Amino acid sequence: MFDLEDAIADWRRQMLSAGIQSPVPLEELELHLREEIERQTKAGLNKPDAFTSAVQKLGPAHTVQTEFMKVDKIHSALNWKLMEIGLTLVTILFPLFIGGTVLKRASYIDMTAAQELSSLTALAVFSLLAWSGRLGGRFLPVIQKGQIRNAILYSCFVPLMLWWVAFVRLIVPRHDFTMGEFLVAFTWAFFTPAGASIGLNWGIEAAARKQVANADLSASQT
Amino acid sequence: MLRKELVAASAEPLVLSLLARGESYGYAIIQEVKARSDGKLNWTDGMLYPVLHRMEHRGLIKSRWGESETGRKRKYYSLKKDGKTAMAKHHEQWSLVHSVLAGLRKEQYV
Repeated sequence: MFDLEDAIADWRRQMLSAGIQSPVPLEELELHLREEIERQTKAGLNKPDAFTSAVQKLGPAHTVQTEFMKVDKIHSALNWKLMEIGLTLVTILFPLFIGGTVLKRASYIDMTAAQELSSLTALAVFSLLAWSGRLGGRFLPVIQKGQIRNAILYSCFVPLMLWWVAFVRLIVPRHDFTMGEFLVAFTWAFFTPAGASIGLNWGIEAAARKQVANADLSASQT
Repeated sequence: MLRKELVAASAEPLVLSLLARGESYGYAIIQEVKARSDGKLNWTDGMLYPVLHRMEHRGLIKSRWGESETGRKRKYYSLKKDGKTAMAKHHEQWSLVHSVLAGLRKEQYV
């Protein structure tokens, strides 16, 4: 005996295994399927035939999924562009801002010339590390799996955050820093490792994305 | 039956023009296009949804969940401002192709 709900549940499983995401867009497709089945049964078709015909009209799961993947790709390309703009701002404007503040306030907070220079160097190293990662991405391995890239990201930034907390809570209170000494310690402790982490992850991500873009191009040429 | 490439290229202008008359949902859009083309513009039903989602990502249309008169859940799409601009551009381009083609065709009969 044909059971429409069983048949639809089966169809859902097929769509899921083809990679169609639930609830969006699977739910929308299912509503469409149900509406088509209803129209056909009203027109006099029996349920099993209406179901088969509606599934056929909807198209093969993997073809529909391929089309949906193109949408995701556009979306993720846009996010990546925004991310790169954000990183560019952070790695250029932020050190400029802090550096400017150091220069402006140096005499006010009794900073020696050496301390000033050291702080500014730390900020420059931050930008350089970040950008050498970005621009030297081609020398980094191409990691296709997003999960592994995320794992690298977390294993860089979690220790970094812990180090920041340790610096503020444990190291700073134990030393009687003058304002100038504090700024030197702060810029080196906060910015330099952050620059290295940003650079490494930026480079890895850029390398992986470049690979995907090249693959796309060759696929469309064949 | 229309050629595959033409069907793909005409999907966006058709959807935009349909939505310009008021919000609608996937199933109704397909039925309407089918009816207006005497069944000659026959989309694979499932392929409309990636098109709709892509247009939504590009900010041409927006969607909301609603209900039909019979209480069935439906996802309604409607035109955004950028969609109206895109539609006007499509109309302009298709008219151009059409007028060139029609002109050439006329000359063949002269």
